[in-house]
Amino acid sequence: MASSAPDLSAVAEPARRAPEAPPPASKKRLSGFGKKPKLDDARYDALVTKRKASLVVDNVSVSFDGFKALNQLTLVLDEGELRCLIGPNGAGKTTLMDVITGKTKPDEGHVLLVGDRRDLTELSEYEIVRLGIGRKFQRPTVFLGHTVFENLELSLAGDRGVFRSIFGRLTSSEKDRIADTLKTIGLTGAGARRAGELSHGQKQWLEIGMLLVQDPRVLLVDEPVAGMTHEETERTAELLTSLAGARTVVVVEHDMDFVRSLAKKVTVLHEGSVLAEGTLDQVKADPRVVEVYLGE
Amino acid sequence: MSALVERLREMHSPRTWLVLGIVFLALVAGVPFSGAPDYVVTLLGKFACYGMVAVAMDLIWGYAGILSLGHGVFFALGGYAMGMYLLLSIGEQGVYRSKLPDFMVFLDWKELPWFWRGMDDFGLALVVALVVPGLLAWVFGWFAFRSRIKGVYFSIITQALTFALMLLFFRNDTGFGGNNGLTNFKQIYGYPLADPSTKAGLYVFSVVFLFASYLLCRFLVTSRLGRILRAIRDAEGRLMFSGYDPKRYKLFVWVLSAVLCGVAGALYVPQVGIINPSEMQPSNSVEMAIWVAVGGRSTLLGAAVGALLVNAGKSWFTVAVPEAWLYVLGAIFIVVTLFLPRGVVGTLDRKGSLST
Repeated sequence: MASSAPDLSAVAEPARRAPEAPPPASKKRLSGFGKKPKLDDARYDALVTKRKASLVVDNVSVSFDGFKALNQLTLVLDEGELRCLIGPNGAGKTTLMDVITGKTKPDEGHVLLVGDRRDLTELSEYEIVRLGIGRKFQRPTVFLGHTVFENLELSLAGDRGVFRSIFGRLTSSEKDRIADTLKTIGLTGAGARRAGELSHGQKQWLEIGMLLVQDPRVLLVDEPVAGMTHEETERTAELLTSLAGARTVVVVEHDMDFVRSLAKKVTVLHEGSVLAEGTLDQVKADPRVVEVYLGE
Repeated sequence: MSALVERLREMHSPRTWLVLGIVFLALVAGVPFSGAPDYVVTLLGKFACYGMVAVAMDLIWGYAGILSLGHGVFFALGGYAMGMYLLLSIGEQGVYRSKLPDFMVFLDWKELPWFWRGMDDFGLALVVALVVPGLLAWVFGWFAFRSRIKGVYFSIITQALTFALMLLFFRNDTGFGGNNGLTNFKQIYGYPLADPSTKAGLYVFSVVFLFASYLLCRFLVTSRLGRILRAIRDAEGRLMFSGYDPKRYKLFVWVLSAVLCGVAGALYVPQVGIINPSEMQPSNSVEMAIWVAVGGRSTLLGAAVGALLVNAGKSWFTVAVPEAWLYVLGAIFIVVTLFLPRGVVGTLDRKGSLST
């Protein structure tokens, strides 16, 4: 946005990191198999037994044409916590989300959902979703041609087989579930409307609703309040806070006021690694964080 | 029981059911006894087969967004299976009075190739007409969808598929009569093909199968499967993040679509009396896509109407001004694309009672 302004220090916009020149032996990944060692049981046990963890990102690196988007990043999320991920542009926040949800395959490292011994980086997108990781994208992505009700119906947790999709009927408890969710996201009465007709904020909420009926253990939310009004932002903060506890919620956000209203714990990413972790006040007091944020 | 009634209501309103029923009865009971000449009845039977193909095309194109420009190959394979039966069923009445079909005698073959054995059995021929197109579609689709080939790339590969099979079938060595194909049929299941009542019977079967395939596809697209297919068409990536594996659904409708085309081909061949590799010409498959575009995508019934309209036009033009037909067909396609993007039926059906 303001990156072309000459006086960077006066702008709250985080300093943009100039990509380094690619290392001489630039590793180009083709399809990714056979490159990294398999996750073994000993490693799994060592990672997950020490804490009440729910999701572990273990030493993950991703590079795009020599640019290290994630650099040996390790992150442990506890069961039921609400964590905010912040960091300047290009810090790797969205790439991290991509790795966890299977959209991007890392060069090295593992991602584990506690309770399942499979390495998430070996699975496809839909398998990861079925394990209980839901994601809300930066731009609202809902099925625009479907009604609001149908959007929720498609997202409902349950059998994803072809046969079931032909002969299965919504049970009354599933219908109640959808009705409850419509209420939670403030779209009661809008079930028959086409999702394409909704306002931007309503689409954001619908997408959150789609995550809710999916019933995930871990919710990844990428910039949920972008483009929302002040009031909508407040309601979103309330909703996300109420969701944590029963599930782990990870929020990527730029808006510091919003982060303050949410989080007990904040992780600052910088150049693809964790720079600092703690409460918002703690990380704000950290001189390294101040430096990357303000470029001072 | 009430669940069934509810399901039928989801498929169509009572009024639409009534209209469909009346049209069906008029076509099945009315036309054969209307005194219409045989060739008209057979022509309508042919159109019904084309209509089935159009419905099958619309299922994958209109709903799942998969445009096949090679569906002629599945139609032709179903037709060849039926043609093999029809040719063997004439016994020794061929030109050379041999047990072998004429073209094999001509090629100096001494016995039936293995893949012809048993095809004198009507039941087996029907099974082959279903299984072979289905199997080809399954193998092709499995690789294509697994590799996430989409859009225009997929369409181009389907063109290549039908072209490759056409070249294969043109060869005499392949064993299906080369460029002449299979013809000189005499009877089907003991009924002489030249008989008006046989012709009427084949016509009735074609109409029944057309309506049955329509209702089957309508049943599918009004189920959750239909909503999943539309989601694949509109936002496949998003659907994966809702926990769906799109390739399974695509493969299912793709194979089903191919099987329906195979059935249509098997009904078509006894009515036209010949099957040859020209049915696999890429242009034939493109024409099938035009039927659907003219009638209206994602309406199913519209696709069948489109097949009827275009082919009625074709029948008239190729007699009146034969050299103009391809230009007219091209013009129709351009006009429909520009001015009727929802097709004839899609535009008329303002309330959307035929689409979902």
